[in-house]
Amino acid sequence: MISKRVYIAGAGIISPLGKGLAATEEALRRNRSSIRPLDLFPLLQGEPLPVGQVDGMEAPPSPPRTHLLAHAAALQAMAECEQPPDAVIIGTTTGGILTTEQLLRDSADNKELYRYHGLNSVTEYIARETGCRGTALTVSTACSSGAVAIALALEMLRQGKAKRVLAGGVDSLCRLTYFGFHSLQLVDRKGCRPLDADRQGMAVAEGAALLLLTTEKPDKPLAELLGAGLSCDAYHPAAPHPEGRGAFLAMQAALADAGLVPADIDYINLHGTGTPENDLAESKAVTALFTAPPMLSSIKGATGHSLAASGAIEAVVSAIAVAKNFLPANTGWIKADPALGLTPLTQPATQRTNAVLSNSFGFGGNNGCLVITKPENFSSPPAPAPVSTGLAIHGCSCLTGAGNTAATLALLAQGVPVAGKADLGGISENLPPHLVRRLKRLPRMTLSLALAAHQDSALEGKPSSVYMGTGWGALSETYDFLSRLTDSREQFPSPTDFVGSVHNGPAGQAAIMLGASRANITTSGGDYSFEQALLAADLLMPEGDESCLVLGVDEGHQVLSPLLDSSIASGSFLADGGGAFCLSRKREGAQCLARLPFYQSSATEGCINSLIDALGGARTGKDKYALLLAGIPAAVKEEGERQLARFMEQFGLRVPVIRYREFTGEFASASAVAAVMAVSFLASGEAPGPLVTGEALALANNKKGVLVLGLGRYLSAMEFFRP
Amino acid sequence: MSKLIQELKVKIIDILNLQDLTPENFNENAQLVGGDLGIDSIDVLEMVVMVEKDYGVVINSQEVGEKVFSSLSSLAAYIEGNSSGSPS
Repeated sequence: MISKRVYIAGAGIISPLGKGLAATEEALRRNRSSIRPLDLFPLLQGEPLPVGQVDGMEAPPSPPRTHLLAHAAALQAMAECEQPPDAVIIGTTTGGILTTEQLLRDSADNKELYRYHGLNSVTEYIARETGCRGTALTVSTACSSGAVAIALALEMLRQGKAKRVLAGGVDSLCRLTYFGFHSLQLVDRKGCRPLDADRQGMAVAEGAALLLLTTEKPDKPLAELLGAGLSCDAYHPAAPHPEGRGAFLAMQAALADAGLVPADIDYINLHGTGTPENDLAESKAVTALFTAPPMLSSIKGATGHSLAASGAIEAVVSAIAVAKNFLPANTGWIKADPALGLTPLTQPATQRTNAVLSNSFGFGGNNGCLVITKPENFSSPPAPAPVSTGLAIHGCSCLTGAGNTAATLALLAQGVPVAGKADLGGISENLPPHLVRRLKRLPRMTLSLALAAHQDSALEGKPSSVYMGTGWGALSETYDFLSRLTDSREQFPSPTDFVGSVHNGPAGQAAIMLGASRANITTSGGDYSFEQALLAADLLMPEGDESCLVLGVDEGHQVLSPLLDSSIASGSFLADGGGAFCLSRKREGAQCLARLPFYQSSATEGCINSLIDALGGARTGKDKYALLLAGIPAAVKEEGERQLARFMEQFGLRVPVIRYREFTGEFASASAVAAVMAVSFLASGEAPGPLVTGEALALANNKKGVLVLGLGRYLSAMEFFRP
Repeated sequence: MSKLIQELKVKIIDILNLQDLTPENFNENAQLVGGDLGIDSIDVLEMVVMVEKDYGVVINSQEVGEKVFSSLSSLAAYIEGNSSGSPS
């Protein structure tokens, strides 16, 4: 079987360089920096630092600037395409935070105003605007988000799970990133000079880029996406591995995925942020992999570093490079740094360019590299493994208000709710103090879950990749950072809280603890965040012995949770927690098998029918499942109940239903706890009587499984079976 | 000076959450960064903020920082030598 080719049919870009492919190319040909002092928001003191700011945007607040930037890119990418994309995958770290920052300063308490805060709201907004009714997946892996989103789209297309995917990244400037990078002393006050001997840091920037990727060959494809590679440094929450270990692994994996050797690459678009550490680590990785490095440059001296957008922006620039045989210069570079051993392009160049490698690296050591080529210039890469039959669960754990897995299951066995916030001391019990001294609630829950899930498994090796879903990320760190920023009149932002505030921080910590150096992906899909993490794992996990960790974790925060989560009423009792799983493709010795057959918007007429089709067809339910765990978030209770009733009737399912949020409480990744319930019921052979209103439900003597449904704005289905 | 050292010990244990340490067993002459305490670059930046906020002393270059944070006593000496007013 020959692998499917993935073409770049359209591309949209908006950055400090301008809007659209032509304006971007023209600006790069001029080789001038667009970095200038910030004026997007007023500062309480001091001179504005240089940033990469997009001009000519309409004023938010509704929707926020990130959403508008993404929309501008989406319109361009979809301009020539009459059909909506089957899926939208967007990488972002900021979501609606720029708007939220102002609302918090104004002490606004109308939660309607915060509805665009969540990272997933960006993706869902773009899905709605482009008419996409399929999967809307949100990735947040800091500065590699855009590249990782594109890598996931590539796998989805190769595996035939979609024909057209709109994928890329976006971030807007905001106080969190502006002051955060400043607090880390990573901002160069003289602009940004990647690879230069006198470089002193980056320029925080904003922008968006989206690619329309398709397996249906367009008349005039812009370029081909030939391969992608992901890795994790598993070294430090913010600093790159000094030898560029993760960067090397990601570049190597991207070339292998594309079926190319280093000599095939004509140009490397470097991550090149301009920080002393990044550029040194990246150059070590490049010179280790390429005996004679090709032409290379970083465009961040011209654009600044647009964080989650940068990988996608640079993918577009790489597509321009192969389409136009045009290589952009390393704007701002003057003096060679002997420590790097690399000399970038000092002027834009014209040369035949068949293949480009584009690098993106981020906090948490999350790395993503893409290989972009002239269409059909190379033979197609090796065929992917046959379509997966699911994931094998070898271990699991959960945390709830009741405490750890054993405490949670013991209460549930009596039909008693476990909703609440577990005590932080108890959560940290199994964690080494030196490892967690800087960590607040979400990363501690994550590490505790990760260790417990691995201990529960009989797997010898540690998981090599991590997939984590979180609806809201590290709320304590985010809130504390913004509070201290405001309280100190913007003078003393906390570097520790900034590093901890990124959504992928906890998964990065898990990778450090486990030494997990392969893919490390954080998804943020609101109430479907855990399902999105499982989806990402199912797309990327190889056959064989390799294992991974899949988690869903959220923290309840006194101030932010009621403002942000539409299911949590103001002044209500908070619940949080999550679940973690050790997974592989190996069925031998597994506790349970898991699949995610369905995840789509519920906004279309036939969505329940599509869900039923994905599960085996009308009236087949009673033969397949013995128990249903239904996730109906409080905010969509009526709609969710209607969907559930229709589903049960049309699917012919008459089995006990556990509305699991009645037991777990309301939090975005409650479905991860539901998944642990499903696995432990199957493993023990029965579901406790009090949960199914009466007698214990036997699950051991038949082949029927447990279905975990997510209802509301999206419909998701996870199924669990005994091995 | 010894009063300042004592004060810094308490502050640093607090802001860096060094649970295993007490002011009594915090050796002011031991290597502060990269030593047994596990203090890294992010902690250094957190201390930079504290020193500026509480003592009005700015440390904004990596070279100065490396010398200043080599031990707690060198940090105290730097603060004493550069602070314009009396310590808080």
